[in-house]
Amino acid sequence: MNYVITTEQLTKKYKNFTSVNNVSLHIRKGSIYGFIGPNGAGKSTTMKMLLGLTAPTKGSFTIDGQHFPDDRLTILKEIGSFIESPSFYANLTGRENLDIIRRILGLSKSSVEDALELVGLTEFGDRLAKKYSLGMKQRLGLAGAMLGRPPILILDEPTNGLDPSGIHEIRNLVKSLLDLYDCTILISSHMLSEIELIADDIGILNHGRLLFEGSLDDLRQNALQSGFAADNLEDVFLSMVEKDNAARKQRAKL
Amino acid sequence: MRTLAIELRKEKRTGIIPVLLAVGILGAAYAFVNFLVRKDTLLNLPLDPMDVLLTQLYGMIMILNMFAIIVAACMVYSMEFKGNAVKKMYMLPISVPAMYFCKFLIITVMLFVAVTLQNLALAQIGTTDLPQGVFELGTLITFAGYSFITSMPVLSFMLLVSSRFENMWVPLGVGVAGFLSGMALATSDMGLLLIHPFVVMLKPAVAMSAQPDMTVTIVSVIETVLFLGAGLWMAKNLRYE
Repeated sequence: MNYVITTEQLTKKYKNFTSVNNVSLHIRKGSIYGFIGPNGAGKSTTMKMLLGLTAPTKGSFTIDGQHFPDDRLTILKEIGSFIESPSFYANLTGRENLDIIRRILGLSKSSVEDALELVGLTEFGDRLAKKYSLGMKQRLGLAGAMLGRPPILILDEPTNGLDPSGIHEIRNLVKSLLDLYDCTILISSHMLSEIELIADDIGILNHGRLLFEGSLDDLRQNALQSGFAADNLEDVFLSMVEKDNAARKQRAKL
Repeated sequence: MRTLAIELRKEKRTGIIPVLLAVGILGAAYAFVNFLVRKDTLLNLPLDPMDVLLTQLYGMIMILNMFAIIVAACMVYSMEFKGNAVKKMYMLPISVPAMYFCKFLIITVMLFVAVTLQNLALAQIGTTDLPQGVFELGTLITFAGYSFITSMPVLSFMLLVSSRFENMWVPLGVGVAGFLSGMALATSDMGLLLIHPFVVMLKPAVAMSAQPDMTVTIVSVIETVLFLGAGLWMAKNLRYE
């Protein structure tokens, strides 16, 4: 199998709290990988490690065959990312913010307009980013991630703060990216119902542990075996998490 | 060069460049007005006229420069933390230490411009208001260089502090505390106090002679390099969490 991102026993500990526990991910080239789990499951921390924002306590990972921190600049050239909340210069306009990223990536001027158009911000491009609404900031963050159409996209809960129509729009946009150009997307959410509409493969994370990794068909199979309706994956996800939580409590008592 | 151009673009609407330019103009204007009003008093002091010109006006100019450095250093990183922009920078293929160095360079060049403006005013006063044949351009240039070099440890230190704290009030507080403690300790002859970068900056202002103190100059260079080195190391090795 041709994997673009693989992690090997990736672990992150903060003093006596383990945020990510021996997570081994396998993300296929040209696929959308949905990374789901409840709040605080360790999704963002895992993504931060992939981007070098935080160092793993244990384990390793490769992105397109490259390693951190030795190949930091090469890796980051290939990744468009959006982590937790949009990042922007409040003193610059949306267009100027994207222009900074464009210059760093060494892209053509037209890529800024392309990204603004992709997220529907063209007419607000000259407004100061600090005056954007939450949804517009979210879109600006996404435009920054998609600038230059990078081969790998890491999106952490990109629909947070968007209204239902915005969520629908971003979901369609993410889905359409694979048709637009050859890319691989790692997208996280705490709602399986949202991810199942776009993802090819999913990874379920709870309290830092990877409970399931596979295709949606595998998950459906899993649902049927566990006595759930195959069309209700949300219940399967919730029961997996609850089961894991119960097991954790049991282990804690012992 | 590319990083420097990017940093300059980021500075748009932050006021970093205008604040240092304004201080240069304000310092020059202060020198003119002060000499115009107190000319006779100043020239009657039991000091060499060149020492009067350079040391008696430098106190206020130095305070202006110090606060401009503190404010500029606070703003240069505040804009990175404000919209979490620095997080994006860590996720982009750009050298974070190079970014830090360019910020250092921008403030240094702007401080140099400010010091130049202030010393141009002093040169003008020297040629027109000092007794005939007393003005020495060489002494003025030497003192200007000395006052610039002794200002650098504060710049280097403040940039380091502001790069480490997301809340702008922390480096601002450190700057004010540094100024107040520096003021209290500057007149002391204890060499150990030169560790304090604000004391170093205040030294030319409390001196009665325009002749540079070699020890203070050497300490200034060492502190500037040390704080800059520490800032670059932290930018490289302490990740964004």
